[in-house]
Amino acid sequence: MSSFAALAEAIPRLLDGLLVTLRLIAVSAPAGLALGLVVGLLQVYSGRFSRGLAGAYQLTFRGVPLIVQLFILYYGLPRVGITMTPFVAASLAFTLCSGAYHSEYVRSAVLSVPDGQMDAGRALGMSLGQTVIHIILPQVFRKALPGCSNEIVYLIKYSSLAYLVTLVDLTGEGRLIAYESFRFFETFLIVGLIYLALVSIAASFLRGIERWIRVPM
Amino acid sequence: MIWNALPALCRGAGISLALVASSVAAGMLMGVPIGIAHVYAPRPMRAALWVFDRIFRGFPEIVLLFLVFFGLGRLPGVSIPPFAAVVIALGLRSAAYQGQIYRGALEMVDRGQIDAARALGLSMPRTIRHVVIPQAARFSLPSLSNEYSIVLKDTALAFTVGVVDLMSRAKFLAMRSRETLIVYALVAVFYCVLTHAGVAVFRIIERRVAIPGLGQRQRRLLP
Repeated sequence: MSSFAALAEAIPRLLDGLLVTLRLIAVSAPAGLALGLVVGLLQVYSGRFSRGLAGAYQLTFRGVPLIVQLFILYYGLPRVGITMTPFVAASLAFTLCSGAYHSEYVRSAVLSVPDGQMDAGRALGMSLGQTVIHIILPQVFRKALPGCSNEIVYLIKYSSLAYLVTLVDLTGEGRLIAYESFRFFETFLIVGLIYLALVSIAASFLRGIERWIRVPM
Repeated sequence: MIWNALPALCRGAGISLALVASSVAAGMLMGVPIGIAHVYAPRPMRAALWVFDRIFRGFPEIVLLFLVFFGLGRLPGVSIPPFAAVVIALGLRSAAYQGQIYRGALEMVDRGQIDAARALGLSMPRTIRHVVIPQAARFSLPSLSNEYSIVLKDTALAFTVGVVDLMSRAKFLAMRSRETLIVYALVAVFYCVLTHAGVAVFRIIERRVAIPGLGQRQRRLLP
């Protein structure tokens, strides 16, 4: 069977695609996490107006499929004169979408910190900001991390949608190879296994962090 | 423009809802036995389940869809229509996730409940049917509502294999009218409403079937 010889030729091309996928994730995973942290904190501590705004952002971006968000950014916004490259559109969409999910984990983690922690911080003479940074946030990180880890795993899987805005990422390269070689099953199986490897590495890395920062009870 | 687009989008939304209902139902049909097997099956079977679980939770949805539609669908003698391909791919994915949901729900049921039922003379299958499942089903409802909203959003990928769902109607309208922003924003509203309406329905069901005190009994009186 020449099947495997053909696949051996496809490997370098898949690696090119993988590189694009990794760059997308490297930009949007940290950006999404940062956005989620800010929005989650706003939802608990800010005034009524920005709290409402944060809630609306969360409801919208969690209620609409990522692919629709991506199409609005890449195909819709040029109608009003805003154009961006596929890479920028994809990373922006991934950031906004995963930020909305992260913010929910952050919000519920903040709410699960007992009120007494805040009172104790303030009673010791710390300002609201200081108490949040030194007392609340360290607890929030630990409580929100399992949910946020899940979200990062989802982000890695959904980065595969980037090919729909003409980006030749791992999935896009896989599609090209599949159509040229007519080996659909083998190609997509390998592409899937590469994603599975990425997801597994990310998950065990994040679990390592969880264990590393755990506070003994 | 918006008024003219609405009928087509509504018809597309109907197809999208049919896709969600079929995929979640297929996922439940396979997910319930999988969840039970996760908890009660012998070790070799659990190892096989682990492989299934890894693949269907680790592969991107779109890759699963391509594997089913282009990979399996082009094998000689096999033909899978687009709608069925989406239901197979998303159904298997959902089965893996729902398996985990039911596993978690089963494990939430207090061990003492099983002991008590056994002590009262119920056989193990009857204990599971009359004592464990009614509680586990209630524990799994919130996650199931989440699963609905995830599968609904995943069905937006059905257009890539040619199903004429909400997204595919939108693409067609956007191409013909060139009003890409209006059309996709309108579709976003459609999905947003469908997601939150579905979640609200689940919340009503949760309240309807709630048993006072169940789920708050986690705290034991004695250490």
